[in-house]
Amino acid sequence: MAQGKATRQRVPGPPKKAGAPKKAGPPKKAANATKRLRLGLSIMLALLLVVGGKLFLVQGLDVGGMAEAALSNRLRPTVLPAERGSIVDANGTVLANSVIRYNITVDQAVNTKTESFKRLETVNGEEELVTVSRDQGISELAAVLGMKVEDVRDSLTGTKTYYIVAKDLKPDVEDRVSKLQIPGVFSEGTSKRVYPNGSVAGGIVGFLENGDRGLAGLEQTQDAILRGADGKRVFEIGADGLRIPVGVDELTPAQDGKDVKLTLNSDLQYFAQQAIQSQTDKLSAEWGTIIVSDAKTGDILAMADTNAPDPNDPGKVAAKDRGVRAVTAAYEPGSVQKMITAAAVIEEGKAKPLDTFVIPPSYVVDGQQFDDSFNHGTEKRTLAGILGWSMNTGTVMAGERLTKQQRYDWLRKFGIGEAPEIGLPAEAKGILTPPDQWDGRQQYTVLFGQGVSQSTLQTVRAYQSIANGGVMLQPRLIDSYINPDGTEEKVPAKPARTVVSKETAKQVRDILESAVTEGQIKEAAIDGYRVGAKTGTSQSPCDDGTAGFCGYTASMVGMAPMDDPRFIVEVVLQRPKGSIYGITNGPIFRSVMSQALRTYNVPPSKGQPVRLPQFAK
Amino acid sequence: MSTAAAKNLTFAPGRRAGEVDPRLTGARKARTPLSVVRSAPRKRRAPFVVLCFGLLAVALIAVLVLNISVSTAQYQLVTLRSDQTALTKQNQDLTQQVQNFQAPQNLAAKASELGMVASTGKGQIDLSTLTVSGAAKPAAKGDSAGAVIAAPAVPGQLNVVPPASTNEPLESRKPVVEEAAAAPAKKAAVAKPAPVLNGGTIPAPAQKVPGQ
Repeated sequence: MAQGKATRQRVPGPPKKAGAPKKAGPPKKAANATKRLRLGLSIMLALLLVVGGKLFLVQGLDVGGMAEAALSNRLRPTVLPAERGSIVDANGTVLANSVIRYNITVDQAVNTKTESFKRLETVNGEEELVTVSRDQGISELAAVLGMKVEDVRDSLTGTKTYYIVAKDLKPDVEDRVSKLQIPGVFSEGTSKRVYPNGSVAGGIVGFLENGDRGLAGLEQTQDAILRGADGKRVFEIGADGLRIPVGVDELTPAQDGKDVKLTLNSDLQYFAQQAIQSQTDKLSAEWGTIIVSDAKTGDILAMADTNAPDPNDPGKVAAKDRGVRAVTAAYEPGSVQKMITAAAVIEEGKAKPLDTFVIPPSYVVDGQQFDDSFNHGTEKRTLAGILGWSMNTGTVMAGERLTKQQRYDWLRKFGIGEAPEIGLPAEAKGILTPPDQWDGRQQYTVLFGQGVSQSTLQTVRAYQSIANGGVMLQPRLIDSYINPDGTEEKVPAKPARTVVSKETAKQVRDILESAVTEGQIKEAAIDGYRVGAKTGTSQSPCDDGTAGFCGYTASMVGMAPMDDPRFIVEVVLQRPKGSIYGITNGPIFRSVMSQALRTYNVPPSKGQPVRLPQFAK
Repeated sequence: MSTAAAKNLTFAPGRRAGEVDPRLTGARKARTPLSVVRSAPRKRRAPFVVLCFGLLAVALIAVLVLNISVSTAQYQLVTLRSDQTALTKQNQDLTQQVQNFQAPQNLAAKASELGMVASTGKGQIDLSTLTVSGAAKPAAKGDSAGAVIAAPAVPGQLNVVPPASTNEPLESRKPVVEEAAAAPAKKAAVAKPAPVLNGGTIPAPAQKVPGQ
């Protein structure tokens, strides 16, 4: 139907007021529509502006640190622990190393509320899901752990989310626990230090505090090297526990600690420890030490102490026994010091081994009287005989040819008053007072080892210089460091020191050998080898501070074979009851020295032993 | 409109759409009568859609296959890693057992348990001159060895020297009568150890000895 424009029927509206503005109908509607449109648009724009501004603030300016807070929430730093280095002996025998151990922990909340759980088990040859009750799980766990069922139940019941049920379990036990699949029971790996050789070299190796920090021995002094450096891994993890692959992932690998290789020989160490322990027990002495040293390199092959601690359980021995007395205990050495006096007078040209000395029964000099350990009349002795019979009188007679300053200088040259640095804590320096502080008696007693104190290692070091042709080598305990990649860095030897000339050293060796062949130290002789030795029986000052002396220190030091000395052995016994003389250590010295010679396949001595006459014609 | 009414209208014959009746000029224009117009043939879109879907499917399958292969490799990696860990632990365990047996004090205790004594004689074979020095002496039961150094107290490890089981290779060499002097050494070694607490309250589990 054709339709034209709709004719507007004029509806009679309200009577027009005079003066009222005449509005056109269609334009009014249009104006309203446009206005509404504009209003709506502006409202939307305003809202958009708000949103845009907020977006800019949050994303662009990050007011309130939201992005950073979110990042730190996601970031998970994990410590990658470094493996502590091992301590091994000269042949690679492990003295200390770290092994994996497991702690069994439980989430008590989870376990308490799980009355039963399903587990895959093989029943009649077929795998099927078996429902296991909580009680059965607890009793199985108790059986594997070797604990009482009630104790296990107590550990697993509660509200804590982390509780340690058992510590330091071996991996096979942990494996069995994890196969039980008890809900809430987890295992965490830790590292544990074990010492496979126990108390053999126990004091030297030392032990850890809380499994972490070295508290004694080499574990303490080498702690920084053994420890290595922990690594770090930083990654982003979502709230669901899954790692975010495209997030931050930084890895600093852990640097394992270096291994420490010692110069010790474990078998010889055990032999020496067993020997000194037997002797100390037999004579009811306070303590004893044995040191076996290589004369040509200064390496310490054995350093034995009585009552050595077992680092696996150091609390078992008294605190005073947990150190290494061979280096920490300083005592008055006694007659073993006469070797230094003899070397000094020979080197200074003041005497020769066969020079004649007329020795009265007791010798008086400067108002001081000196006696020997045995009674005798006036005797004509050689210098060799003075040492062979360990005569204080003769030593003073020979030694007084040196000035006080010379006596002091020679003692210092032989390392008295100078601590040997071998890497153990609390190494003793000994006491050697300056000559101007010596009183009328001390200036002579230092000649035979009283009025001066030193450790066993210092005495061994002095004898080593004589054994090595007059060249003193500093003792070495740490041979090398082994890096985690297997390369070995040898610890360089400290500079050698020429103490006496080769000829003087030879003459002193002859004197020491004659002490065994001709003198009073025949107990030290070993079949097939030429041996030189010196005993020492010194009065020991009281430890509790009271004036005077309490007991004796019996020692014997020797070297073999004398044609080309390889080893020096010193045996020391502090305050033995019964026989207090150094010569009682003869059998121990003999057995340890023989063992050393046998272990290292030293060929027997050829030729004739030196027999310097002890009495002058 | 009825046919009769249509006849009454004076329309010019052959009137077509768009033509305006001249008589109607000036008045309102008549609406053009509608008729069906044949349109151009439509483009076929089906193959394109199929292609699109096909590409989508291929892409999804490709991603799936990639993920599967990566995951498989990851599973293998996890399996190998766990194998490595298990073997490392086993290795450590066995090494520790060997070290325990090698500890000098344990060796000495085991030797004395088998009735061995320290040798008193020694000889030397000189390879350059092919001479043998020293005289061989039969082993003689000497005095007691003296002090016994305790076995290493490694927690969780055997801390007794294991008694000889019947499968022990040196069983035949054991002395028939237990000497009294060997008893103290053996007693120190075989005494039941106190539970190793290591400063805690939970004893370390003792390893079962084969044959017990």
